Amino acid sequence: MASAFLLDMTRCIGCEACVLACKAGNQLPVNTQYIELIEHTSGTFPDLVGGFQNHRCYHCADAACVAVCPTGALFKEDGLTRLNPDACSGCGYCVQACPYGVPKMQNGRSTKCDACASNVSGGGSPWCVTTCPAQALEYGDRDEIVAKANSRVAELKDRYPKVQVYGETQAGGLGLIVVLPDDPAMFDIPTDPQPVPVSVDIWKGVVQPVSMGLTAVAAVGAGVLGVIARRNHLAELKELEAREKAGVPAGGSESTEEEQ
Amino acid sequence: MARVDLQITRRQFLATGLAGTALVGTGMGPGRSNLAMRYPDPPWFASGEVVTTYNYCDMCPWRCGIAVQSVNGQVIKIDGNSPDPKSRGKLCGRGQAGVSFMNDPDRLQSPMIRTGERGEGKFREVTWEEALDYTAEKILAIKDQYGPESLAIFGHTSGDFWFTDYFAQAWGTPNAAKPSSSLCLSPRDEASTLTFGFPVGGHEPLDWDEMECITLIGSHIGEDSRNTVMQDFVEARSRGAQVIVVDPRFSAAAAKADYWLPIKPGTDTALLLAWANVLITEDRFDRDYLDRWATGLDELTAHVQEFTPEWAAGITDLSADQIRTTARVMSDRLPRAVIMPGRHVTWYGNDTQRMRAEFLVNSLLGAYGRHGGMYFNKSPFLEPYPHPPFAVHGSSGGCSAEPGEESAELPLGPTGKARADGARETFLRGPTAMQELIDPMITDDPYRIAGLIVYGVNLLNSIPMPNRTIEALKKLDFVLAVDVLPQEHVAWADVVFPEATYLERYDELSTVAYKTPFIQLREPAVPPMYDTMPGWMMARELGLRVGLDPFFKWETIEEYLNTRLRSVGSNLEKMHDAGGVIIQEGKPYLEDFEADDETPFHTPSGKIELSVAELAEAGLDPIPVYEPTEEPPDGYYRLLYGRAPVHTFAKTQNTPDLSAVYPENELWINEDEATALGYSNGDRVWLENEVGDRTGPISIKATQRIRKDAIFMAHGFGQHAEGLTNANGKGASDTKLMSRYKLDPISGGAGLRVNFVRLVEGG
Repeated sequence: MASAFLLDMTRCIGCEACVLACKAGNQLPVNTQYIELIEHTSGTFPDLVGGFQNHRCYHCADAACVAVCPTGALFKEDGLTRLNPDACSGCGYCVQACPYGVPKMQNGRSTKCDACASNVSGGGSPWCVTTCPAQALEYGDRDEIVAKANSRVAELKDRYPKVQVYGETQAGGLGLIVVLPDDPAMFDIPTDPQPVPVSVDIWKGVVQPVSMGLTAVAAVGAGVLGVIARRNHLAELKELEAREKAGVPAGGSESTEEEQ
Repeated sequence: MARVDLQITRRQFLATGLAGTALVGTGMGPGRSNLAMRYPDPPWFASGEVVTTYNYCDMCPWRCGIAVQSVNGQVIKIDGNSPDPKSRGKLCGRGQAGVSFMNDPDRLQSPMIRTGERGEGKFREVTWEEALDYTAEKILAIKDQYGPESLAIFGHTSGDFWFTDYFAQAWGTPNAAKPSSSLCLSPRDEASTLTFGFPVGGHEPLDWDEMECITLIGSHIGEDSRNTVMQDFVEARSRGAQVIVVDPRFSAAAAKADYWLPIKPGTDTALLLAWANVLITEDRFDRDYLDRWATGLDELTAHVQEFTPEWAAGITDLSADQIRTTARVMSDRLPRAVIMPGRHVTWYGNDTQRMRAEFLVNSLLGAYGRHGGMYFNKSPFLEPYPHPPFAVHGSSGGCSAEPGEESAELPLGPTGKARADGARETFLRGPTAMQELIDPMITDDPYRIAGLIVYGVNLLNSIPMPNRTIEALKKLDFVLAVDVLPQEHVAWADVVFPEATYLERYDELSTVAYKTPFIQLREPAVPPMYDTMPGWMMARELGLRVGLDPFFKWETIEEYLNTRLRSVGSNLEKMHDAGGVIIQEGKPYLEDFEADDETPFHTPSGKIELSVAELAEAGLDPIPVYEPTEEPPDGYYRLLYGRAPVHTFAKTQNTPDLSAVYPENELWINEDEATALGYSNGDRVWLENEVGDRTGPISIKATQRIRKDAIFMAHGFGQHAEGLTNANGKGASDTKLMSRYKLDPISGGAGLRVNFVRLVEGG
């Protein structure tokens, strides 16, 4: 089952509660935020149209970030794009490849919205959804979210002649279904997002492995193609999962965790 | 391996144990990821028992009920408290940053006594014993020499009750004031009292659920991020309610409006009178409602004849057509159409009359006491803790002030002195006007004010004419600052009491006048950090040292709260188990009063007073007229100010998480004007008012979203306080540009939008 967010920008009033709820619930470092509100205006005083872009991960089905990630730190699950920062090598390809400019580097690792994976798996909602005073955000089964977005749009045509659902098909279908009151261009959102080609220059910059102890980093550093690294890493993850299911303790990189 | 084993065991324990324990109460129940291998660190809610405490938020004065979640003795996450009628499980960004506010490393950490000159900010850390004894000695000396009235007490934020209300009245000073009165709500609440016989109340009683048309005059919902109002506004609009926004600026709310009226600043009363004209001359008002519930319709009818839309168009920069159309949009939906009473309404010094004009339009729409209009709010029943009669009946006002005897004789203090703010002489009525107490501190007229206790009021970033305030601070015999942070004015104090934040203390119960009146609990999530103390404890310890023992008979705050809660059949434990809130029944609609054969309107006539005799008797207009406001001189812009959604007043600019999201304010200026001046987006400029006061630098936001005759910035920035790492020197201060204000002759409100500024290079 694929999950998705509904983001109704006809409701969003730009209060940034989502930004702060995300920071608090995910205990993000003070200078990190996964959501950004960007004001947009068109027209000339006093004939104006305005609104916000609620900029955040779009959770593409054909996620460019996942495709270029050499270590499997970025991966798809339940239709959403997750990120395991401990598996990130800090190569920065995802930052380069994302058509929406979402992932950011923080202390040498990629960081972005993972749809509150840990919270949601326990039956909760993403923090932004829980708190939104405008109830512009919902979260649930993607098919239901898409249906809801389409029925919203039908109801909103009178007030917003150009209202549309964004995300049903883009990048293979997004995990963030947006009810947009106007054309995507009005909000600086690409109508047909395409992965940004990762430049060769970037490959050169990967020689400083941040996340030591991962096969992936060694592989990239040695100039082996990322695909192989990814395959190796996925195999490693599978093994770890299998161990967890069997109740076998993990080793290695986890031992940095503090004891209570 | 043993170490790793232990971790896994603990995690498994937590994953299975959590669901059944503390999280159930929050209704959210996040658990452990089944992807723990991919997310190596357990999330906070899986790293120990989650303990939920209930509180009301103090990040703004709105006071949303919150559920505070702590793990291993650390407060981690704050959510809206689901059963609380204000938050309904939701919370704004500021509320979310409460943990960041509490953990601000710049917090005041110990009581201090001044060692340097006032203003230098040099202190030595002392024990509470020494700080309290010293303070008691100083204020008793003032009392002996000048009388208790000579101690002024200013208070703001939710603990202000203990000092501004309780201690002040027990001690005997009528000079206790809150900025939420004369720097904010006074004109509105006095206008409401004159018209309807009761103030609007802290929670504006709009009946959003059934509303069909909402008009905002300057209210910038969304940028002003009061949680409940955002919820209600968005829901009403999404349901199809028409939205009319009157604002010189294309605010976030204006961008949601069906009709945006970009009015010329200062002309709102002309628009309101023209709306009344349309409603009356086109017979589009609720005549039956007014016949039954109002007096003065004939006078009003005669009064508005000349105020046609064509007349108002020439004044407001709006078209007669816009004015007529919007009046009809409202009237087509009456009584489910209402103008929202604004909140910060001290604009031009004629503000009570402007608010009266709003209420006249609301009355023509038949809105009060009607479904979809405005309901009658009701305060919850809750007995006070028994105490001896107060030494003086204060009138500090504030959001939750009860209607007092505003027009009666002023109460006298123990040595026979009434409040020193000029009430009854320079203005007619209303709570003590904070800005009017500054001059007496300098001039000793009408009598000397020698001491000041300032609880949580950012003196130099909220009271206009900050240079005058500094002059007063220099002259006072004694200043006590109670605060959480080393705000700018704290450097001017003799003694500093560091307060524990709302997350670290019990506090007075919050009583909210609402459709369903309710009581909110504040219980500590963690003990006070550092060497800080809750405000109630400071007030009590001080009270015991100055002979006010009979007012502080309770030994513990728990005893105080339990005694009060007993009157509603509850106690701290029961209230916690009930989710931190007690909700009572209201009496919201006219039909509820008709059923009891009562009138809800507590005016002299028992009806809505469209024309007010008290005003006529005082030589003021019984029905509002439009008074032109002074225009900005050439090269100057009218200074408008408001909110950024993640900040409150001048209080949150240093909060790490909020500073990170919105570190400094921007100068909104019309794009064409900016271009003509040679500026573009991001350029940094200084601002200068007509007398040469400067503030900045501030970044230009060149935008089509504002008129050409005004500039706008978020309030609360441009602070100069060295102890505030994030806020110090960030952006520009609107307050520092307010070298004057215009006193509202009715309410004592300080009209603040009468200052003109220009853009200059360099400070």
